[in-house]
Amino acid sequence: MKREAIFSLLARRAFLRKIGRAATCAGAIVAAGALGVTKEVAAKSESKPSRASFPTKDYDWTQHQWAFGVDATKCIGCLRCVEACKRENDVPGDAHHFRTWVERYVYLEGDKRARIDSHHDPVNIEASGSEREYRFANRYQGAKVEKAFFVPKLCNQCTHPACVQVCPTGATYRTQDGVVLIDHKYCIGCQYCVQACPYGARFYRPKERVTDKCTWCYHRITKGLQPACVEVCPVGARIFGDRNDPQSPISLFIRNNRVQVLRADTGNAPNVFYVGIDKEVS
Amino acid sequence: MPKHIVRLIVLLVASSAIALIAKWFFTVESFYEYGHYRADSVPEIAAQEPVYKTAGYCQSCHSERHAQWSANNHKSVTCETCHGAAEGHPEKGKLPIPADTVKLCTLCHEAMPGRPGTQPQIQVAQHSGGQQCKVCHNPHAPKIAAAAVKVAGDVAAGRQRAAACASCHGAEGISPNDTWPNLAGQSAAYLARILAAYKSGDQKDVVMTPLAQPLSDGDIQNLAAYYASLTCRTVPSTTRIGDAATGKALANNCASCHGATGIATNPAWPHLAGQKVGYLVNVLKAFRGGLRKDPMMAAVVRGLSDADIDNLAAYYAVQSCRPVTEARKTP
Repeated sequence: MKREAIFSLLARRAFLRKIGRAATCAGAIVAAGALGVTKEVAAKSESKPSRASFPTKDYDWTQHQWAFGVDATKCIGCLRCVEACKRENDVPGDAHHFRTWVERYVYLEGDKRARIDSHHDPVNIEASGSEREYRFANRYQGAKVEKAFFVPKLCNQCTHPACVQVCPTGATYRTQDGVVLIDHKYCIGCQYCVQACPYGARFYRPKERVTDKCTWCYHRITKGLQPACVEVCPVGARIFGDRNDPQSPISLFIRNNRVQVLRADTGNAPNVFYVGIDKEVS
Repeated sequence: MPKHIVRLIVLLVASSAIALIAKWFFTVESFYEYGHYRADSVPEIAAQEPVYKTAGYCQSCHSERHAQWSANNHKSVTCETCHGAAEGHPEKGKLPIPADTVKLCTLCHEAMPGRPGTQPQIQVAQHSGGQQCKVCHNPHAPKIAAAAVKVAGDVAAGRQRAAACASCHGAEGISPNDTWPNLAGQSAAYLARILAAYKSGDQKDVVMTPLAQPLSDGDIQNLAAYYASLTCRTVPSTTRIGDAATGKALANNCASCHGATGIATNPAWPHLAGQKVGYLVNVLKAFRGGLRKDPMMAAVVRGLSDADIDNLAAYYAVQSCRPVTEARKTP
């Protein structure tokens, strides 16, 4: 064996020995630490009394199953829902961050495909005069419009949400009453969920470095109120309620209409039910 | 067992133990309580305070407004849709009363492809001549009340009954003096509405009230039909007041109801073209002073000065009342 080779072998052995010692020391320290926290560990292991009603003392999530309806035949595209949502949920004010939005589909005579725009289209921002105000520009006035309609969109609060599946930290989850929420304390802002959502319902808040999305105003519905967008809709295009109650607005809406969901083929089993939308809407 | 294998096993066990203990230590208490997430985050999210307070919250102080709003066509539009979120009100100050109602109202009522046909929509450029919506419409009760009533009176019977009116309004509905209005060719629906208002006491006049009270509903219909059937005439006024050219500019504000030259398009509202100057001045001042009551007119005349009123009256008095009357008279 060459001298150099022997030296390197000896060096490696010395290095490994050091590592071993270090590991033993660390183990000892951790063991000591573990002894120190036995109390806490014991406290954690104790089975906690299950909460009487969750998440608040006046609201039990096992008693509700929320769902949302959109009647696109009623929507007038006034965008009061977008404004209310922003205000209610403290969403960044500019036109490009939003939890809910409204799409306009226009088929001009001879067009094979729909022209689609939303409040953040530059033409519409110009019409409203500011990124903080929302208005559809009357851009198709005088044009030969064959068919046109508005479609409100929001998080579908899927029964099998792809976004929850991809979250690496358990920061997003589906509640027992059927709403997908984000724990902003655990969100690391990796945006896997933004990519995973087939509906584009999630967005990133650069300032807080977390993702955000529609919660159906969870803080309102758990207090017996309607989501803010439903509250301010002047024409009743947005319907919300509890599917456990057969007489709730949403149960009646689903029962009395032929409803459909968006992108059923993705297997997410969405819980926003649409009436009056066209083949292009997905 | 060789020494290096033993070392490896010790290392593995030690690091696994560290990892397990670290996980135990760092996982918060409520994680896994209901699933792979921190259960405490649910009450945290649910604890957020609502910003939009609902109409019920507004009602507790604004009960009168609430009653008016909830009985009218805008009842599906909640308070906060137009006034904004009620959070912090009243503690932190007033909520805005929208000043630019054209901007606000057209969000919903501008005619636009894609809006359902059931939604009331206007061509913004042609609807109001640039006026604010609230000049004519009360946002809490937006439907304009003066709906045209169909008049189905008998002209011949009306002519007989009108003998009593001739001394003031003229034998052919053209008043002989400057203070009393011409009735010839006036819109029948308007005439019937005003006569009914005199009869019921909603509108008062020393001369008209005692004359209108004995009229039956049939009489009112007949009289309205009779006067509407007469041919109007623009009689040059003896009184020289006001400046018609200045009045023309002011009249733009009246055009959406009374027509650009004083020929109203909706039969609920009176034609003004060729009307007597003195009468027009008196009526406008009566609206301004609240003697004659009409919510819409009250809002329109509120800002008019005496000179404005003279100019407006002068403008309408010299307009020709013919074009529409002739068209209307052809059977």
